[in-house]
Amino acid sequence: MTNIVEVQGLQKKFGKVQALKDVTFSVAAGEVVGFIGPNGAGKSTTIRILLGIIKRDAGNAKIFGKDVWKDSLEIHQRVSYVPGDVTLWGNLTGGEIIDLFMKLHGGGDQKKRDELIRRFELDPKKKAKGYSKGNRQKVGLIAALSVDSDLYIFDEPTSGLDPLMEQVFQEEVEKIKDSGKSILLSSHILSEVERLADKIVIIRQGKIVETGTLDELRHLTRSTITLATEGDVAEIATVNGVYDFKQKGNQATFAADHQHINAILVKATELGVKKLEAVPPTLEDLFMRHYKG
Amino acid sequence: MKEEFARWDTLFVQFLKRDWKKIMVWVLGLGLFSAGFVPAFEEIAKDQGLLGMFETLQNPAMISMVGPTPIETAADYTLGAMYAHEMLLFCSLFSMIITILHVVGHTRKEEDLGLMELVRSFQIGRHANSLATFVETVFIHVILALFIAVVLISFKADTISVEGSFLFGASIGMAGLIGASIALVTAQIMPTSSAATGSALGVIGLLYLVRAGTDVLNVDLSMFNPLGWTYLTYPFTENHWILLVCGLVFTVLLSIIAFVLEGGRDLGAGYLPQKEGRGNAKKSLLSVRGLLIKIQKGVIMGWLIAFVIMGAAYGSIYGDMQTFLESNEIVKQMFSHSDVSIEESFTGTIMMVLISLVSILPIATVNKLFTEESSLRLSQLFATKVTRGQLYWTSIGIAFFSSVVGILLAAGGLGSTAMAAMEDRSVMSIMDFFAAGYNFLPSVLFFTGLAAFALGWAPKLGKVVYLYLGYSFILNYFEGLLDLPEWLLNTAIQSWIPRMPIEDFDVRTFIIITLMSIALMVIGYVGYRRRDMIEGI
Ligand SMILES: Nc1ncnc2c1ncn2[C@@H]1O[C@H](COP(=O)(O)OP(=O)(O)O)[C@@H](O)[C@H]1O
Ligand SMILES: [Mg+2]
Repeated sequence: MTNIVEVQGLQKKFGKVQALKDVTFSVAAGEVVGFIGPNGAGKSTTIRILLGIIKRDAGNAKIFGKDVWKDSLEIHQRVSYVPGDVTLWGNLTGGEIIDLFMKLHGGGDQKKRDELIRRFELDPKKKAKGYSKGNRQKVGLIAALSVDSDLYIFDEPTSGLDPLMEQVFQEEVEKIKDSGKSILLSSHILSEVERLADKIVIIRQGKIVETGTLDELRHLTRSTITLATEGDVAEIATVNGVYDFKQKGNQATFAADHQHINAILVKATELGVKKLEAVPPTLEDLFMRHYKG
Repeated sequence: MKEEFARWDTLFVQFLKRDWKKIMVWVLGLGLFSAGFVPAFEEIAKDQGLLGMFETLQNPAMISMVGPTPIETAADYTLGAMYAHEMLLFCSLFSMIITILHVVGHTRKEEDLGLMELVRSFQIGRHANSLATFVETVFIHVILALFIAVVLISFKADTISVEGSFLFGASIGMAGLIGASIALVTAQIMPTSSAATGSALGVIGLLYLVRAGTDVLNVDLSMFNPLGWTYLTYPFTENHWILLVCGLVFTVLLSIIAFVLEGGRDLGAGYLPQKEGRGNAKKSLLSVRGLLIKIQKGVIMGWLIAFVIMGAAYGSIYGDMQTFLESNEIVKQMFSHSDVSIEESFTGTIMMVLISLVSILPIATVNKLFTEESSLRLSQLFATKVTRGQLYWTSIGIAFFSSVVGILLAAGGLGSTAMAAMEDRSVMSIMDFFAAGYNFLPSVLFFTGLAAFALGWAPKLGKVVYLYLGYSFILNYFEGLLDLPEWLLNTAIQSWIPRMPIEDFDVRTFIIITLMSIALMVIGYVGYRRRDMIEGI
């Protein structure tokens, strides 16, 4: 597999703020990469460097094997981008702005555009000053999805979209994924990207702290399990891989290592399960885990 | 019926609590602006000033701008007459405009923002909000009228009588109420609050234009114009209180119409349907140039029209220049160059003034690109095949184009009205005006170059270019008055350029400043290409 995006030891300072300290990751051809980190971690800064909007202080960044700063123009012909905060010209309509973006990018598909406008339920004849944040986001997304590119970069694309529209977005991204394009998807919420991402890159305070497939990362963490049994639930506490055990009557809540999940379930069945709830690890858990070591 | 207005008084008190700071600024600001210039006018009225001003303002062009005076001979023209003549129409206009913004803001805008839905869900009548707004507006204007009267009286000028002072204040207050009732009606009819504001302002603009015509042709016709019921009261001279009664009847009638209209419509919707925009872009928009022109068209057109009007305003005084200049020691000194005609001397200075104004436009055009950048509107465009060079040079191109057209319109407006005003006594041709105007083109380019340089290297300092423009303008304006040292004058770019038509054209200076400006633009481009785009700061 060839790497579409290749980032190595990226650094960027704004005045005294060291926004990026050490950012290294890659996006392979046909791969969807979730770029996760809390607000202010440096996601947008990384993406802006990739697009040649700002210049890196140190490190290397290549897209399609070309330097992101020097050859930005060639790169842009094959890249679609939607910024995290889409702001528009108030006196233009959504339809006009979509057409403008498509034209300035090149390679737009009118039929695709009209279909997306319908699917996202956007009123293209309304002036942009009347749009909500979600509607502005839709304008950016429709424009980016209507042009043909090899790499799509979305910076927190679903902030402001309601769940139904988020669903539409996920489906559209799935389509471009199926047609073999590469996608870099940033978010501060893990669940937003877990459905689509082949790989997760986690950034915190300007450093990549974890990289891997979702499964690989999940293994590093524990799910939170709530269990009620016929027998004495306290016996679960003795099983390997159970942590933070708390009991209330015959119901217990605890954290469970993924490697030991089978043993825990065997024990639970022995006791007779009355109720079982498992909550997958949240992003916070991943971070906590990383920091506690 | 009573239910429809239920609890308007609660809302009214609420409004006063919420708005009291705004009301203070409004009353103090507009009040002092309306009444506070008496000392300045006393200064103008000195010596033969009243006479000169009287003659100047007889010019139809001036009448169409400031309105007529009932005084027929210069001998009867007093300070009070002049004050009302020059100030009342403009102050009335301001009063209307502010009130329109206020009234639409309290009524239709709150509906658009969805605030009213909440309010209406309490036990509050359908018309309560409009009535509360209207009563608040009346309250504000009574205070404003009294404040203006008191300030006028406090100057104790002979011809500014107590009766006239109250009438002057009341006229401005009435203007506000007329504006309020117009806004109340458009707020019911129009589909959105911005359309309501726009159409109310449009009505006022139309009334102003119509009265410009009728004032010149036949003042009696202006009496049928709601705007006429303000400035034609002629405070300090004829004191036509009766016109205020017309205004009051008009206001009450329109307000009743507004309430009836409000009774028949849904919340958040007007009688006119929402105008749909375009679903697809026109071809002319689909380029960097198309976009940049589209988003600046309004501002550029506005300034261009202002240049013509400014030019025409100055041009209209060429006819009575002699009288005007002799009336005032300061003015005389400013425009005196011994061996040339007063008109030519005036042209040299006034062209500097006009072209300094023209320079604002290209600075604004270049600065606009940074505004767009920092407000994130270009983010998605940066990631297309649009280059930074395209953005930069297109902006410079639009700036250059608006400079050339701006000079054409300012010099043309000045020249053509001046020629008309001087009739056959003209000492200049229209070409002299254009030559004098384009003689200053390098200075406009220089300001453009400075703005471009800032855009490339220190975009946040783009606004400082305006400061430099203001500074060099002031230096040049007072050059003749104050004995400023050569080196200080030379810090202003306009000082390097000869004053045509009094002085001769200087090719060398013209070329050198132009080249310097181009160099600034190129250096700016180098910076613009290599700097970080600054987003969201
Ligand atoms: N133009 C800028 N000037 C100064 N500081 C900036 C600028 N852009 C980003 N930063 C800082 O860099 C850090 C990373 O920001 P950002 O990349 O926007 O984070 P994220 O997108 O992950 O929320 C933050 O501390 C932010 O305040
Ligand atoms: Mg961000």
